Amino acid sequence: MRPATRKRLTAGLVNLAGVVTLLAFAFPVYWMFATAFKPSRDILSYTPRLFPWPPTLEHFQHAVSRPYFGAYVRNSLVVTGSAVLLSLLIATLAALAVGRFEFRGRKAYLLLVLIVQMAPFEALLIPFFLMLRQLDLLNRLPALVLIYFIFTMPFTIWTLRGFVVGVPRELEEAAMVDGCTRMQAFRRVVFPLLAPGLVATSIFAFVTAWNEFLYAFVFMRDPDKFTLPVWIASFRTAFGDDWGATMAASALFTVPVLVFFLAIHRRLASGLTAGAVKG
Amino acid sequence: MRRGGVRVSHAGTGRAPAGVVDPEAAPAPRPAVPAPSRRRPAAARRLPYLLVLPSLAAFATLLGYPLYQVVRISLLKLDLGELIRRETVFVGLANYRSILADRFFWSVVLRTVLFTAVSVTLTMVLATLVALLLERLGRGLRLAVQISLVLTWAMPALTATVVWQWLFDTQFGVVNWLLTTLGIGEFGGHSWFATGLSTFAVITIIVVWQAIPFVAITLYAGLTAIPRELREAMRVDGASPWRAFWSLIVPALRPLFMVTCFLSIIWDFKVFTQVWLVRQGGPNRQTVTLAVYAYQEGIATSHFGRAAAISLVMVVLLLTALVYYIRLMLRTQEDL
Amino acid sequence: MKARYLIATALVAVLAAAGCSSSKSSGGGSQTASGGSKTLTVWLMDGSAPDKLVADLNAEYQAAHAGVTVKYAKQQWNGIQEKLTTALASNNPPDVIELGNTQTAKFASSGALADLSGKVSDLGGQNWLKALTESGAWEGKQYGVPFYAANRVVIYRTDLFKKAGVSAPTSLDQWIADGQKLATANKSNGRFMPLYLPGQNWYFMSSLIWDQGGDLAVKDGDTWKGTLDTPQAQAGIADYKKLFDGLSKAPADTDEATPQQFEVMAKGNIAMMIGLPWELNSAAGAAPKLKSKLSAFPIPSHTAGQTAPVFLGGSNLAIAAGSKQQDLAYDWVKLLAGEKYQTRLAKENGVLPNSSSLAGSTLGDDPVLSAMAKGAQNGRITPNDPTWAAVEAAPNPIKDMLTKVLSGKASAAEAAKEASGLITEKMAGS
Repeated sequence: MRPATRKRLTAGLVNLAGVVTLLAFAFPVYWMFATAFKPSRDILSYTPRLFPWPPTLEHFQHAVSRPYFGAYVRNSLVVTGSAVLLSLLIATLAALAVGRFEFRGRKAYLLLVLIVQMAPFEALLIPFFLMLRQLDLLNRLPALVLIYFIFTMPFTIWTLRGFVVGVPRELEEAAMVDGCTRMQAFRRVVFPLLAPGLVATSIFAFVTAWNEFLYAFVFMRDPDKFTLPVWIASFRTAFGDDWGATMAASALFTVPVLVFFLAIHRRLASGLTAGAVKG
Repeated sequence: MRRGGVRVSHAGTGRAPAGVVDPEAAPAPRPAVPAPSRRRPAAARRLPYLLVLPSLAAFATLLGYPLYQVVRISLLKLDLGELIRRETVFVGLANYRSILADRFFWSVVLRTVLFTAVSVTLTMVLATLVALLLERLGRGLRLAVQISLVLTWAMPALTATVVWQWLFDTQFGVVNWLLTTLGIGEFGGHSWFATGLSTFAVITIIVVWQAIPFVAITLYAGLTAIPRELREAMRVDGASPWRAFWSLIVPALRPLFMVTCFLSIIWDFKVFTQVWLVRQGGPNRQTVTLAVYAYQEGIATSHFGRAAAISLVMVVLLLTALVYYIRLMLRTQEDL
Repeated sequence: MKARYLIATALVAVLAAAGCSSSKSSGGGSQTASGGSKTLTVWLMDGSAPDKLVADLNAEYQAAHAGVTVKYAKQQWNGIQEKLTTALASNNPPDVIELGNTQTAKFASSGALADLSGKVSDLGGQNWLKALTESGAWEGKQYGVPFYAANRVVIYRTDLFKKAGVSAPTSLDQWIADGQKLATANKSNGRFMPLYLPGQNWYFMSSLIWDQGGDLAVKDGDTWKGTLDTPQAQAGIADYKKLFDGLSKAPADTDEATPQQFEVMAKGNIAMMIGLPWELNSAAGAAPKLKSKLSAFPIPSHTAGQTAPVFLGGSNLAIAAGSKQQDLAYDWVKLLAGEKYQTRLAKENGVLPNSSSLAGSTLGDDPVLSAMAKGAQNGRITPNDPTWAAVEAAPNPIKDMLTKVLSGKASAAEAAKEASGLITEKMAGS
């Protein structure tokens, strides 16, 4: 086969593979969005309707007109944001330590961070319950902040370590030679270089905390303390499942994550790989 | 002309390559951290410990204490009554004995291990393929695929499970309709959830489908960081894509492979929501994994002591399975 | 210098976290607020009482109890087990809760509920439906106050019946014959089913088993034994299979809620389904054209002229043992369980009130509700034991058994023996 033809064939195959992959991942997501716009009677039908027609906004309206909806959004944002910030803050300190310094116990600490990821979080429900009961933190949002913080911190430490290691020591040392204190060197040199890493790591922590359901459902008792995942689950009742509203709610729920990703996706690549790949 | 394997150091300092790198020469070993010097002031020596202190405090209070509680509870008979009346009934290893002696428990363990193996393998293989594909696509299609990956990953597990269940629904599912329309067979009314194996297949699809994006995006990021010069060099040499993959990409991405594989094993072993939502461990208890089993004994039937014991057994199993893996990881990342 | 800076940062972070937890506290539960006013926390389940009824009741209650505010929260059935477990074990449980009648024994035996034995006559307990009273009792003490009940009926399409020339059957055999006539009359419709009977409707199967004299489990001395393998139970299971094979094309491996059978019925291709009156309303809601074409008849017994025993589903009201306002809670319960609101509840919600004297007067007119009331005269409940909740929790061995039998994977005898063994096992763990 002529090289030009082969090249075009390969390109064609690659594009085909791309389209197939796109379909594989986009179709169920599309189904969620389509169902959100479908009139109720078309949602469960013998001949699947691939396109919502006529499209309706009633499910969205129904989903957001729940009482306390504003509270759900606020709670989710505050809890997730706080957990992510707390996680980033403390993980950065730890990552700086293990990434920059040699000290006794460093390997043990890293081992701890690795092993801690195996903790069975669903199984800790009752122990957390007992602890929160003692501290009188049940039905209080800070309880969720603490739980999500500890869920996401090990992964954050591990990933940030990679970034820290990826910031060349020479830059910092050069700054210090120039008369900066370590703190100033950090602020002026290291931190800006670390920023993409912080952002990249935060999206993982964000999604984990944003999507968490079990603890939010069990520990928050009053409706004004519910988070969005609880809201999504509330459309499935023992008396019928409002699939339209569930899908509309889910669609709205994924939008912030999508926006977050689109904002950072260019930095994501450089952030994630610093420290992981050596050229 | 065989250039030989490209030696890529795993020192992990990840510096952006300055220019053409001679692939044959081993990079001069650079210590990733300064040798500890006795001349460092005491304050600086203390610094790393101080930096690590907050996280350790968090681990101790928010994770250590609950884990200690799990161990303690696993030695108790803690049912609803004891929980409400705040009684402590110590039963020693009775919970463990009853679990380990139960034949059903061992079938659950086997099932969980097999499911994890299959899911992780599928995830890693498919995610790698997706990452490689992403590299080759044009900008527009690549962004489209990336967006679909992110949406998949961001979709709540509940929603993803529901959507896939619909797609496979016996009466109203798209899959049955599609297969029948394409003439592959008469699938109208075919139940994908009639047998344990078939149900597990659907569950695996759901779990793997949502697991691929994270790994694929991470691996793709790693691919883009491999210096183009090296890829060019391989191509100019006439190396086949297969060889390029094994000689260049795999070594370069090994740290990322190891981390994502490690995390995948842990997550797929512990996965609960999707398995539970599909058939609650059915049909006929054939899709009960350890996480589901712990839940059934725990919140569902209020045998919290037993549930705690099951969870600890899960952790021990994971630890033993991954001990070798962890050692490997720690060893290959030289600067650890 | 930098060390100090970092210590400070760390300390600030920890303090901030601690500070957050005290400043963001907005408290919950029924603690007395400042000024001496009290809050009574009431949890009722979704679908149990119309919002207006509760609003009126709360207004009346608050008028009679100065300084008390009722904090009413409607709870979802999905996940209520988890919520109740943690709520009742917490430091400030809700004062009044509603429990499904199959769950009451479990919470009663755990010490989570207040003992109301002394108040039964004050509440009018002598008139309560026997099966409901039983479900709220444990070891001779009364913990649950019957709230309401509902039982299954056969919901059918009056127009399809008329077209096929059949009328509401009064025996099992006639039911099957009617179904076959319906099938013949609708041969041209490929999707038509005389009866939508999914494989795992074990509540209905209980009816058939009880009708033949069997039971799900029986107490033998101190232990419960699953009794699905007795000849009587086997006869009941055989009846189910007869109906399933002959009249239904529904899947063998789902229950009546997955998908919701009223949604399937709303598509118009089904002549009958076995469900609760609210499902009829939901079907009419989903398909308004069917509204005037739906009615119900009681589940026929295999003995001509009688109705089969039915599972009396329902709820009890209970007061948390840890509630700090037992008297206030009691007054609230008394109000809801009293004649005035029970009558309203029955009329507005189409359910059975807790007292048998009221049942006749409130439900007489509506054909659907009188069908239900007729069936309720023969009402039964599942084994009243704290461990029964474990049997119903997934995986439900009864459902699994049904699927195996109906899909031909195992003989009824084998499957029943296995299921009975599992029931015995689950009811053995206390």
